[in-house]
Amino acid sequence: MAFARRWSGTGVFLGTSMRVQLHDPLAIVSSALVEAILIVFVWVLAPKYLAFALFGSLVYSLFLIGQHVINEAAYIRIEHKINELYHASPLSPEAYFLGMAGGIGIAYLPTTLVLFVLSMIVYPVTVGGFGALLVVLLAVWLFSASIAYVISTLFRDMKAIWPYAALITNVLGVVPPVFYPLALWPAEWRSIALVLPTSSGAALIESAAGLQPLPLGDVFLAATALALEAAVAFVFAVWWARRSSREA
Amino acid sequence: MGSSESVTRSGRVLPAFGIIGWRWISRNPASAIVPVMLPFLFLYFLRIISPPEYFPLAVAGAMLYTTQNIGSWCLTDAAVNRIELRLQEIFVASPLGKIRYLIGVAVSNFIAAAPALVVQGVLLALVWPVPLWAWGVLAGCIFVIWILFSAIGIAISTRIKSQREIWPIGNLIFSVLGIVSPIYYPLSILPPAWQTVARFLPSTYAAELVHGSLGLPQVPASAETLALDAVLLVVSALIGIAIALVVYRWRER
Repeated sequence: MAFARRWSGTGVFLGTSMRVQLHDPLAIVSSALVEAILIVFVWVLAPKYLAFALFGSLVYSLFLIGQHVINEAAYIRIEHKINELYHASPLSPEAYFLGMAGGIGIAYLPTTLVLFVLSMIVYPVTVGGFGALLVVLLAVWLFSASIAYVISTLFRDMKAIWPYAALITNVLGVVPPVFYPLALWPAEWRSIALVLPTSSGAALIESAAGLQPLPLGDVFLAATALALEAAVAFVFAVWWARRSSREA
Repeated sequence: MGSSESVTRSGRVLPAFGIIGWRWISRNPASAIVPVMLPFLFLYFLRIISPPEYFPLAVAGAMLYTTQNIGSWCLTDAAVNRIELRLQEIFVASPLGKIRYLIGVAVSNFIAAAPALVVQGVLLALVWPVPLWAWGVLAGCIFVIWILFSAIGIAISTRIKSQREIWPIGNLIFSVLGIVSPIYYPLSILPPAWQTVARFLPSTYAAELVHGSLGLPQVPASAETLALDAVLLVVSALIGIAIALVVYRWRER
């Protein structure tokens, strides 16, 4: 009962957060620009990897959507200064965090859907592959939104936040094999790629789609790593949300 | 006030903004490191996916891309100065004019980009024997792109109403301008319709000029072609700066 009560405000705050985001369509459109740039690079310079780039763009897109929580949570706290009001209300800190992340996620989903349609045109997947894709994308989003919420609480200046958000998304999204095949990544570092949340997600999706079959051991490593990262990050973010709301 | 004293005073704005730029970097090193990293990340990505013979061209392109990004940082700085810090009204009330403010913010942000440009220049020298005159061409193109994109950034910043708009608008404008121009690859490999659109952008001519002057076999260029690119770069940049100055609001909030 107490558990249900703690999460009861999630849906309402999700709706609020989603409506706030939908008032800013430019931000939604521009959110897919890095994906677009990298897809264009691949299309122009290495069209044989286009399917990899499109599947990778789905992972990157969900990771980026999760990272938008950094900006939004900080904006509510620093610019509007209303997070203390939320925390003083019956809304629990975890419902505040998950509602905000969910609202942002739904509002920004259209760009991911466009990428998804393009992916299916270039390389259609089976129903099983589609299921794996959904689970992987959900795990990537949950991990990203959770760490984004925690990071957002560490800043006192909006201007200082943007570089860190860009650092996280680009280091985890552009460097590892997300937009290009795992086979192009140095072989001795392959296990690192398989435990990073973005590249493990891309490898799992590409393997499930049959685009880049992986040995069973690699699939196990990538799936375990992603599931653990998502679960640990989410539990930590909930704990952190409660802790930081007491300090607010 | 004598004319020499006037010149001395008006010249103070550049070192002053230079110090502001340095202070911001020294207090927030990530602010300098992260935006500078993006062109390197793109370079790394291109190194993996594209034919190796395009790499020198991509390194030169990264220098132009880094310079273009200064415009985005100028947009952020000027918008934060105006919206969050409410400093623009003080600047307007001071003897500082709009052009000197523009140049000052541009200088301030160039300082953050300078380390990346130096590293990219060293990398370019390592991967391709760049003729001395080509370094001059590269420096000239960087100068023109720096002024142009700083002007665009500051002009747009004066139309932004909320801090929340800064990131998406800056990202949208500068990413689109960065990707439409063939900075990282030759213009000739793009589809014809894309080439036509790219020819309306000054960065395209800067990229053509730089790529051509490097003497890369993938981008053969005659002296006439390079001269034409140089003229088109200057003309298109002047048009771009003129439009930016029209958009640039100084006195209004």
